[in-house]
Amino acid sequence: MGVNAKDRFSFAKGYRGRTLFLIFDFLLLIFMMCMMVLPLLKVGVDSVDPTSYGVRLWPKVVDFSAYQKILGTPSIYQPFLVSVFTTIVGTVFGLFVITMGAYVLIQKDMPGYKLLGRLVLFTMMFSGGLIPTYLTIKNLGLMNNLLAVIVPCSVSAYNTILMKSFFASIPNELFESATIDGCTPFGCFWRIMLPLSKPALASVGLFIAVGLWNEYMHFILYISDPNWQNFQVKVRSLILEDGLSGTAITLSQDMLKSATVVVVVLPFLFIYPFIQQYFTKGVTLGAVKG
Amino acid sequence: MPTMKTKAASPKEHMGLSTRQKIIKYRTFYIMFIPLLICMIVFAYLPMFGILYAFTDYTPFHPASFVGLANFKKLFAQAGFWQAFFNTLQISTTKLILSTVGSIVLALLLDEIHTVWFKKVAQTVVYIPHFMSWVVVASIFTMFLSPKNGLINGVVEAFGGKAIYFLADEKWWRPWFYIISVWKEIGWGTIIYLAALSGVDMEQHEAAIIDGATRFQRIIHLTLPAISGTIVTVLILNLAKVLNLFDPVWVLQNAMVINTSDVLETYVYRMGISGSQYGLSTAAGLFKSVISVLLVTIGNKLSKKITGEEVL
Repeated sequence: MGVNAKDRFSFAKGYRGRTLFLIFDFLLLIFMMCMMVLPLLKVGVDSVDPTSYGVRLWPKVVDFSAYQKILGTPSIYQPFLVSVFTTIVGTVFGLFVITMGAYVLIQKDMPGYKLLGRLVLFTMMFSGGLIPTYLTIKNLGLMNNLLAVIVPCSVSAYNTILMKSFFASIPNELFESATIDGCTPFGCFWRIMLPLSKPALASVGLFIAVGLWNEYMHFILYISDPNWQNFQVKVRSLILEDGLSGTAITLSQDMLKSATVVVVVLPFLFIYPFIQQYFTKGVTLGAVKG
Repeated sequence: MPTMKTKAASPKEHMGLSTRQKIIKYRTFYIMFIPLLICMIVFAYLPMFGILYAFTDYTPFHPASFVGLANFKKLFAQAGFWQAFFNTLQISTTKLILSTVGSIVLALLLDEIHTVWFKKVAQTVVYIPHFMSWVVVASIFTMFLSPKNGLINGVVEAFGGKAIYFLADEKWWRPWFYIISVWKEIGWGTIIYLAALSGVDMEQHEAAIIDGATRFQRIIHLTLPAISGTIVTVLILNLAKVLNLFDPVWVLQNAMVINTSDVLETYVYRMGISGSQYGLSTAAGLFKSVISVLLVTIGNKLSKKITGEEVL
């Protein structure tokens, strides 16, 4: 590894340029990391320090009253549960529909194989648009029905094609011999394909889950009943309309808003390092070509 | 017999099943496709027929009746539509270019680091913003840029400047929109390039070093051509998504900056959902769908020319 061998810090002749470049590279990346963290850090500081104005990145006072206030607001629990529900149900539903569809799309000998593939691909390129979709949902009587959010957010052509390209990499002989041994097509799918596709299932499942958890547009389009709003819509209204106020004269508005953001972001930051590898694997699943 | 050619090509055909027998053989597979088919019909194909509303005067108070191209005439006469149309083109292309270039540069910088723990920490940190919803990101930056006690205005005031309400200022809205978009997605975008970079042939680099090529020359002449296929693929996949600006624009937009920030999607939402002018807003939305198809088709053709392969 001739290139990597130069990777040691030394100012001896021949290493000097490389070392200077590396120092520059490290400093630049540290700067980038600071830029990424800075807005988050500021929100964290603002949430515990009512006196934190302008440039200050370390709290002078630590005061958790904003958190007490938010966690003591009963109206945030229902939207939270709606978010949890749509995320779990949507991920399971989406994975089920996508994997079955993708499994069919690799049956090259099946009559109509090409047509079905094109049907999926076409939805990726062209869509009816916002209003026609809204009117279709409305005419089908799906307004205020969580199905109108769960289905379009969990079943996507992109993920189906991603899954299909992963499935296509699994040798076909496995299924041929299983079929000879009397395995049904669904049995082959359930007992051979799915267990062999665990990494792809984890990645695509996490993509769907994050998308559903963060979903905002479909909720404001199709769900008007406040009982079925999700967490994102609630957070937006808390922050926009100062929805926490009432008795909040004692607490600064910014402190409450910051604490709301922290409450939303913090749980994810704790689990994120453990699941990060599945996300990165998912991105490179189908897309790297030559 | 049009099937003669395929018969010779595929060994499986020798089993000599007729199409009908094959359909019977594959019946379970057709059943397994039904859930996906239903989802696509309801949420993708039925709405496509709804495009016909663009040629009607449909509102909740008025049943749809055919009006020909009247909606398009009305639309073309509205300044707000053209503004949204050109804003969409400008904002989406600028965003696409900035985030692609940013991600490639960041990936090159990360790829040069061979200190494993540092690289891992850096990657973990730069990926984080991608997972936050636009609602949360908008909340964070609204406070961050606030004229009252935001950090940026704190710095401006410390240097003796006057606080600026960045997100309500026509001059400042777009630059900050780009900064926030890049902040959110630059790290995530590197993953795919890092994967491609790990496959770059090191022997060529060693030969180039012996020939006296500088680092910069090697990046331009060896590394970038090696990952050009990936760059094109990612660009085209992003072309299909680049016009979906609803979430970011909607949550960062306000009445003060409507002229510079309004895009087709937010325009359609306000006119169609808030204003209930279904026919007119369907016509406006049609432009987004058509631009999107054009972008993807042109991108796909270009990709075939450049890399010899179609992405879609």
